Amino acid sequence: MATAVAKKKKVRINGCVAAAQAAKYADVDVITAYPIRPYTATMMALAQMVANGELDAEYIVADSEHSQLSIAHGASSSGARVFTGSSGVGVQFAYELYSPISGTRMPVQMMIADRTLDPPGDFGSEHTDALSARDMGWLMGWSCDAQEAFDNHLLGFRIGEDRRVLLPQMVCQDGFFVSHITTDVELPDTGQVQEFLPPYTHPYPLDPRRPVSHGPQIMPEQGPPLQLERARAMEGAVPVIEQAHDEFARIFGRRYDPWLEEFMTDGADVVFFVQGAHAVTARYAIRHMRERGAKVGLVRLKTIRPYPTDRVKDALSKFKVVGVIETNLGLGSVSSGGVLYAEACAALYESPTRPLVVSFMAGMGGEAIVLKEFYWMTNKMLDAQKRGAIEKRTHWVGFEE
Amino acid sequence: MAYIELTVWTRGIIMDKEGRDIVNSVAAAGRLEGRFAQAMENYVDNPDRTNAPTRKYCRVSDSVIENALTYENDQPNIVVLVEQTMVKGWDYMRGMPPGGTLVINTHYTPEYMIRFVPGSERLARLVCVDAAKIADHKWLYYRLGELGLDRLSTEGAAERNNAIAPDIAAPLIAAVVKTTGIVKIETIEPMIANKAAFRAALDQLHIMPLGAAVA
Repeated sequence: MATAVAKKKKVRINGCVAAAQAAKYADVDVITAYPIRPYTATMMALAQMVANGELDAEYIVADSEHSQLSIAHGASSSGARVFTGSSGVGVQFAYELYSPISGTRMPVQMMIADRTLDPPGDFGSEHTDALSARDMGWLMGWSCDAQEAFDNHLLGFRIGEDRRVLLPQMVCQDGFFVSHITTDVELPDTGQVQEFLPPYTHPYPLDPRRPVSHGPQIMPEQGPPLQLERARAMEGAVPVIEQAHDEFARIFGRRYDPWLEEFMTDGADVVFFVQGAHAVTARYAIRHMRERGAKVGLVRLKTIRPYPTDRVKDALSKFKVVGVIETNLGLGSVSSGGVLYAEACAALYESPTRPLVVSFMAGMGGEAIVLKEFYWMTNKMLDAQKRGAIEKRTHWVGFEE
Repeated sequence: MAYIELTVWTRGIIMDKEGRDIVNSVAAAGRLEGRFAQAMENYVDNPDRTNAPTRKYCRVSDSVIENALTYENDQPNIVVLVEQTMVKGWDYMRGMPPGGTLVINTHYTPEYMIRFVPGSERLARLVCVDAAKIADHKWLYYRLGELGLDRLSTEGAAERNNAIAPDIAAPLIAAVVKTTGIVKIETIEPMIANKAAFRAALDQLHIMPLGAAVA
C-alpha cells in the first residue's frame, strides 16, 4: 500500500508519536488499537494519519486488549504487516495471546509504553508490564529516547519479519520519560525505509486458494519440536539482529550496538547496569561523579530478548561492582527486588572474574531518578568496592540513609 | 539567565491549546536562539477534562537541561494563568524563587488581583493583560462545536488547527516575553498566528512592579 513520499527531515516529537511515525514509514497494513495511557498517544497519532490519508491501513479499535492482540494475530496470519501497542495493565490483559502469536511465528509488532501495574496503577513507568511477558517468545528491548524508539520500530520489523526469525516484537519505551518527552528526531527519506525494510510476505499466510493450518490442536508428542523450533528461532535471531543493525547504520547513518551501550566505562571500577530512559539522567550523573574522581560508568542493556548473555558477561566482568537499576518489580525473586539482577548474575556466573552485583530499586512508581539518587547509588557501589563485599543484595533507593 | 522555568496553568479542553502554545512557542524560540529549551505538559493532568486545571511547562537554559525527565517545574520563575478565576484555589506560586513574574489573563487590574495571589512577596512583578479582549476571543458558548472537533485533548495527537497562538495565547506570550525577556520578541513573533493581538498586547500590559529582586 502506498504511503506518501517523504524527504528526510528533523522534527521535534515525543516517543509515542515517534512510534506512530515509524509504523507509518513501515507502511503497516493493519493497526489494532485499544486506548490506555501512555500508549493512547500513539494510537491517536496513527488514527490521524489514517484519517488524513497519510497512511493507507486498516485501523481497528478493539473492545479490549485481548481482542486487540487477537485481531493482530489474525491479521498477521493472513500476511499483513501489523502494528499494535499497549501499556501497563493493558499489556497484561492481552497476555493469553503472546505465546500463540510467537508460537505461530507471526511477526506482529507491539509498541509498549511502560506504565505501572496495579498497584500503584499510576501513569508512571515501571518495566514490569512488558518484562512479565519476557519469556513468551517475543523479541524485546528498550529505547532511551524518541529517536531510538523510531529506529527500534523499523529495526523490529526488519528483524522479526526475516524468514530466519519470524517472531513478534515488543518495542518498549518508558512511559513519560520517552513517550511524552519531545526530542529531536530525524525522520528518514521514504526511499531509505524502502531499502531497509522490503515489503513483508509471510511464507504461509492463511489463504483460501492455498490452504494451510495455523496452530491446530496437537498431541503431546508434537509439542517438543514446536517448542524447540521457537527456541531456535530466538537463538537464530542473534546474527539477524546484528546484520540488521549494520544495514541500518549503512542506510540511515546511525550506528547502534544492538546489545549494549557503554558510557564512560574506560577505567571504571563501578558501573550502572540499566535499560531504558533513566540512562539519560545517569549519563549526566556519571559525568559529574567522574569530575569528582569516582570511577563510575554505565552499561545499558538494549535488547533483553534474546538476552546477550556472553556480551553481558564480557562487558560486566571488567568491573569491580555492578549496580543493576531495576525499574521493575520481582516480588520474592532471587534478590527480593527486581528481575534484571538474576539474569545479570546468571550471565556472569561463568566468568572467572565476577564483579560484586547489587540491585537498586529505583524509579518505582515511575518516579524520575534524579541526579542525587545516582550519586547515592554510586557511593553504595564505591563502598562495596572498598569493603570487598556488598552491604545487601537490594537497596530501595529513597528509603535508606 | 542561566536556567528559567515557565509554568502555565490553564483549563482542560477549552483553553488547553492556549497553554500548550505558550510553552511550545517559548521553547522553540529558545532553541532558535541557540539555547537549550524543553516544553512539556504535566503528565498526570492529562488527559485533560473540560475546565479541569492543567499545567504546561517550559524550561530554557544556557546549558543542557539535565533534569529533562522530571515531571514538574519545581521552581517556576514565571507563572501564567490563562483564565482569571484560577487566581484563587491553587498554589501556583509554590516553589517560585524571589524575583518571579505572574501573568494573568484578566480584565481586572493588578491592584485588584494582587489580593488573591498567595506568596506575592516573591514577585518582582504582576502582569495583567486582557488577552480575551485583545484577541477578540469568542468564549466557549460560541465555540463549543469547533472545540469539540479541533481539540483532541492532549494525548500526543496534533490539533487540526496547526496555527500557533491564533487566539488568547498571543497576548499572553507577548506579556511573558516583554516583561521577562525569557526569549526575544523578534525570535518568537514570526511563529505567532495572531500577530495583531501579539503586537497590540505589547502596549496594553498592566504591569505592577513589586519588591522582590531576583535572588
